Amino acid sequence: MAPRSDHAGGSAAAPVATQAHFDSMDPLFHVLRVLPFSFLRPPRTRLRLPSNLALPSPMTVFSLILLTYFAVVSGLVYDVIVEPPGIGSAQDPGTGAVRPVVFLPGRVNGQYIIEGLSSGFMFVLGGVGIILLDLAVDRTRPRSLRASFGSAGAVAVLIAYAMAMLFLRIKIPGYLW
Amino acid sequence: MAPPALDSLPAPLRSLRLKTKQQELLLRVSALALIYVLAFAVRLFSVLRYESMIHEFDPYFNYRTTLFLTENGFSEFWNWFDFESWYPLGRVVGGTLYPGLMVTAALLHRLLRALYLTVHIREVCVLTAPFFAANTTLVAYAFGREIWDSGAGLVAAALIAIVPGYISRSVAGSYDNEGVAIFALLLTFYLFVRAVNTGSLAWALASAFGYFYMVSAWGGYVFIINLVPLYVLVLLVTGRYSQRLYVAYNCMYVLGMLLAMQIRFVGFQHVQSGEHMAAMGVFFLLQVFFFLDWVKYLLNDARLFKSFLRITLTCVITIGTLALGLGTASGYISPWTGRFYSLLDPTYAKDHIPIIASVSEHQPTAWSSFMFDFHILLFLFPAGLYFCFKRLSDATIFIVMYGLTTMYFAGVMVRLILVAAPAVCLISAIAASATIKNLTTLIRTKSKSPQTTGKTTGSKAGAKGAVDQSLPFQHNAAIALLLGAFYLLSRYAIHCTWVTSEAYSSPSIVLAARGHNGGRVIFDDYREAYYWLRQNTPPDAKIMSWWDYGYQITAMGNRTVIVDNNTWNNTHIATVGRAMSSYEDEAYEIMQSLDVNYVLVVFGGVTGYSSDDINKFLWMVRIGGGVFPVIKEPDYLVNGEYRIDKGAAPKMLNCLMYKLCYYRFGELTTEYGKPPGYDRVRGVEIGNKDIKLEYLEEAFTTSNWIVRIYKVKPPKNRS
Repeated sequence: MAPRSDHAGGSAAAPVATQAHFDSMDPLFHVLRVLPFSFLRPPRTRLRLPSNLALPSPMTVFSLILLTYFAVVSGLVYDVIVEPPGIGSAQDPGTGAVRPVVFLPGRVNGQYIIEGLSSGFMFVLGGVGIILLDLAVDRTRPRSLRASFGSAGAVAVLIAYAMAMLFLRIKIPGYLW
Repeated sequence: MAPPALDSLPAPLRSLRLKTKQQELLLRVSALALIYVLAFAVRLFSVLRYESMIHEFDPYFNYRTTLFLTENGFSEFWNWFDFESWYPLGRVVGGTLYPGLMVTAALLHRLLRALYLTVHIREVCVLTAPFFAANTTLVAYAFGREIWDSGAGLVAAALIAIVPGYISRSVAGSYDNEGVAIFALLLTFYLFVRAVNTGSLAWALASAFGYFYMVSAWGGYVFIINLVPLYVLVLLVTGRYSQRLYVAYNCMYVLGMLLAMQIRFVGFQHVQSGEHMAAMGVFFLLQVFFFLDWVKYLLNDARLFKSFLRITLTCVITIGTLALGLGTASGYISPWTGRFYSLLDPTYAKDHIPIIASVSEHQPTAWSSFMFDFHILLFLFPAGLYFCFKRLSDATIFIVMYGLTTMYFAGVMVRLILVAAPAVCLISAIAASATIKNLTTLIRTKSKSPQTTGKTTGSKAGAKGAVDQSLPFQHNAAIALLLGAFYLLSRYAIHCTWVTSEAYSSPSIVLAARGHNGGRVIFDDYREAYYWLRQNTPPDAKIMSWWDYGYQITAMGNRTVIVDNNTWNNTHIATVGRAMSSYEDEAYEIMQSLDVNYVLVVFGGVTGYSSDDINKFLWMVRIGGGVFPVIKEPDYLVNGEYRIDKGAAPKMLNCLMYKLCYYRFGELTTEYGKPPGYDRVRGVEIGNKDIKLEYLEEAFTTSNWIVRIYKVKPPKNRS
């Protein structure tokens, strides 16, 4: 708070200081008063910092961080460096036809872009589900809203976990039951 | 009910009833003890399956230096010049390693001997990492309690005991710097957060010593000395400046810096290296901030303070900029290292430093690696961040920053999942603990409501007596969700145990595979080869191999190597890469100039071992070509494709590496129904089946053809 108000006060006080009896302790002030401003006249501008210049609220920062988290766990850095295709393709040994493959099989540390984004979405969905469960416990909200949050949260976690396990089993064939 | 039952008990037993707090304490201590044992025991799969031995390539140097330290003492260790490495350069050991791991193991060994427990130093080395992993659970508990509450602390300890991201570098036999460094890292952070919370000089001093231990153990200490000032900066920006923060950071930074400079490998880097400038900058910023705050307190006149503020800020910014500019221009401040820069710019390593990009654990991380190493913590992590933001404090801000920075770095480099694991466990523990507490509160509230019917238990309850705020089926729903939570946590435990057993408990040096009947087949070719070297070659023989095997050759084979895993001299490695990539006659000249007696290559075509030298060969070409332009990668490819069959590039079919790996392989039938010379890793029949060697001769090939050793013939007489 203090630094920001200092700035605002400083800019507001600047014209007043010009009219005052030059009792400022600032040596630069005296030098500048003589050299350019004895013949130059500063314009009457009033620069004020916007009053709404404040730090964002915690939940705003949290929302941005959630987006960043989605980018990281989707393997976006991997996509930038390795540049895999959106989806892969495999040749059917029987017919010779080429069909799309969404999951890069067999490699734990490898992915296509679409599978990364899908999995990252599931991780964020699970996290949001747990957050909804916490919102459902808040007694200040109406009952119907709390019931909706609780149900949505539980369903979200369930879907996220089931899909993540499915993806993992596609990825790692020998994964435990 | 209760009083009559108690009356029936004998008087002495009645006094044994524990109070609620005593019960809680007993539960907590018991849980922590069990978690401690669990963290140790889950890492012992490899010891039970194989034997007590060092697993990976790098740790054999750590073991060899620890052996030297226990036999010769610290001063000899500190001044050791190792002529068996990097022939003909040698290596100044004391100035090129982090001694924390070796000193720790040596002290543990000495302690056990003092207790008359006669154990070999190798056993101590094998079990050092599990021991420190168990200690890390205690630090995680203390840290969780400091940040949130003791319930979250217990959950954090349980999660971190078995998280695969941490287990991967702390199983028994993984005698590497990270084994003790993660403990030191978490301890340093815990002590610093406690110092910030209390403003106590003693805790700040303790965090400085924790930092010293971290610096002595691992180069990852750079993360600490960048995260802590970043955290201080965020606290300043958010207006959370306090005397406590000032005391904590000043003490930790100044003492930590002085202590860090005692490590020879660090030396003056702490005040000269670009990676450490942020910490120094924030330190000076904190002084200016405090000074201005003090002046503002002294000066009553606001106008005087504003002019003083302007003067001071102008001077400080000018001096700071000048100092940084002069330092950088004159070379006093060294620029960021390649590895540090590649974390900030992920594409840097791929373009500029092939030797960094060639290490598999330096690759970027895919979603499945996150899932493999974290499991349900990936759901709990964002929820934990939410709870931290709901209850912001100095401590929760720290854990949020620690979690976010390490998750980003874990995304850039898969190895750094290890550093992210403690943070993810702590934040996930907050989510798990808070959620379970919410659910149990709902269950208890419902169960008490019938008894309180018709009674007023408080003004708030009385005011809302007419309105029932509980949800429909609240009780049953809460129970169901609680069971669901326990199911997810139990699946986490099962997943972690499976991953540890299947993926992280296999030594690189002893290979295992599934046979036809499902049983395990053991390939012990590495040790076979190293013992052959030890017993059948002259003591002063020089062995040329790719750097992956250098530490093992010196430690187990007791022979001098040209390059090893330290990878500190890129030109020397490039020379070896060039020799492997060249035709036999050109390679012979290089080997003569390096005084090479034997060449060792690793070949997986018979067994299907895919981490062999043929699969690493392109990196030899890239690293060799980075220094010697005569080596060009396209020469070894066909239309950009890497091939070893008949259609392979001519230079590929006749380079030294190809010849040494596939010598006499063309006569061998490896798989039923396939022609002789079928490579089981690449899945093709090799292109050059009739290989003739002119300047080398085969000296030894292991039982399963994994390691092949060739003797370099002496030059012919030119009389």
